[in-house]
Amino acid sequence: MILFDNVSKLYPTQNQAALDSLSLEIEKGEFVFLVGPSGSGKSTFLRLTLREEKPTAGRIRVAGKDLHRLSNWKVPHLRRRIGTVFQDFRLLPNKTVFENIAFALQVIGKPRRQINRDVPAVLELVGLDGKEDRLPDQLSGGEQQRVAVARAFVNRPLILLADEPTGNLDPGTSVGIMKLLDRINRTGTTVVMATHDQSIVDQMRKRVIELEHGKLVRDQSRGVYGYTR
Amino acid sequence: MRFQYVLSEITTGLRRNLTMTIALVIVVAISIAMLGAGLLIRSQADTTKGYWYDRIEISVFMCNEYSTGAGCADGAVTDAQRDVIRQTLESHPEVDEVFYENQEQAFERFSEQFDDSDIGGIITPDQLPESFRVALQDPEEYDGVVSAVSGLPGVQEVTDQRQLLEPLFRTLDGFQLVAFAITVIQIVAAVLLIGNTIRLAAFNRRRETGIMRLVGASNFYIQLPFILEAAIAGLLGSVLGVIALFAGVELIVGRFIAPNLQFTSWVDSADVWAATPWLLVAGVLFSMLASFITLRRYLRV
Repeated sequence: MILFDNVSKLYPTQNQAALDSLSLEIEKGEFVFLVGPSGSGKSTFLRLTLREEKPTAGRIRVAGKDLHRLSNWKVPHLRRRIGTVFQDFRLLPNKTVFENIAFALQVIGKPRRQINRDVPAVLELVGLDGKEDRLPDQLSGGEQQRVAVARAFVNRPLILLADEPTGNLDPGTSVGIMKLLDRINRTGTTVVMATHDQSIVDQMRKRVIELEHGKLVRDQSRGVYGYTR
Repeated sequence: MRFQYVLSEITTGLRRNLTMTIALVIVVAISIAMLGAGLLIRSQADTTKGYWYDRIEISVFMCNEYSTGAGCADGAVTDAQRDVIRQTLESHPEVDEVFYENQEQAFERFSEQFDDSDIGGIITPDQLPESFRVALQDPEEYDGVVSAVSGLPGVQEVTDQRQLLEPLFRTLDGFQLVAFAITVIQIVAAVLLIGNTIRLAAFNRRRETGIMRLVGASNFYIQLPFILEAAIAGLLGSVLGVIALFAGVELIVGRFIAPNLQFTSWVDSADVWAATPWLLVAGVLFSMLASFITLRRYLRV
């Protein structure tokens, strides 16, 4: 599903490579934790997967597409097959829960009929049915992140990328989000989650990929967060 | 494409940047008014030239008894001299037609022109010069004819009406140049202003556009509200510019110039109507193009 082959990424303003000859493969339907200290290359990995950046060297395949050969105007179609969740939720404050999720479908030209069918379904999946008319600032942090997950998943993507989705949440709420991501993973969606949350990684016992200075230092199935802290 | 979404984005965008939008509309209005003024002056110059070139002629005045000057040393023009002049004119390739006007005819014309003044009473036909009136095939090519006859014996003076009109044409050309120069300056200002307005609008909406990029909205869909926003501002500005042009033509040409200077036909609102579609299209397309170029820099994929 995601294949990095000898990928390096150098940012023009930095001396050290953000990614240094990274090779890894993530299969369809896997749940993968991406761990490592700040600046180890986790975010760069996610940005390269979304093709927000192009690698300096190496080859990347995502969802069957060779990103090197993907033309600019086809990039939106790649992104429709990838859902993304961030630490800061990134909801539109002046839109309701329903509108926030519907927005993701509107802007890729989905018909109103499909929106009225899919949005309530995904709201039920994330456990927010009944709150569709609330505005984001009327929700708790955990609920806001559920909206963000619903928005990422409403289009049934092949891959869900999560960049520290529990970073702003307390431990109890985080567990709820993790259960939600696990449920999404069981529908066959590949989930890649970058995190610093040790207890979550240790509890879930999923594949763990650890990066340091842009290099792969550990790739362990059913792993734990590690010994660095 | 969801029309309602695009429409609401445009209206909120224009409202949020109200001051910038107003500035943009004004600059576009001035650009379009100046461009239109330049076009009108050009068509004015063309109609004036067309009007006059049909009537333009070269007059070859011949010596009479009272003439002085190099060609008239022998007194009044002789028959032989007159024949030589006529032949020179008729054989010249640029000459279309030659009319002869004798002293009696010159006197009649003179009397008509100075009908109510006393001067008619003291001038007699023999004091006036006989002349050839020469129509040219191409009014621009008068130099050759003038120099061919001006040295001949019996020729007192050769006058070319084009020389009299030259200052008028130069003035029109100058006005046109000024109008186009102002247009260019205004267009530069408009481009910079459109760039800034769009950049501000893109910044205001970075949250929305960020999400749109993330969920895979096409570039066209993301950029469309911005481009249409510029197009609407451009259309508003162009309409205002055209209205200003109508007012200018009505007030300056219609009320002031045309009634007082009747030696040619002047531009009127029909000419403005003819230019209106082009000016509107130019204003809208131009604004859209400027915003599109800005967006390529500020709304990266």
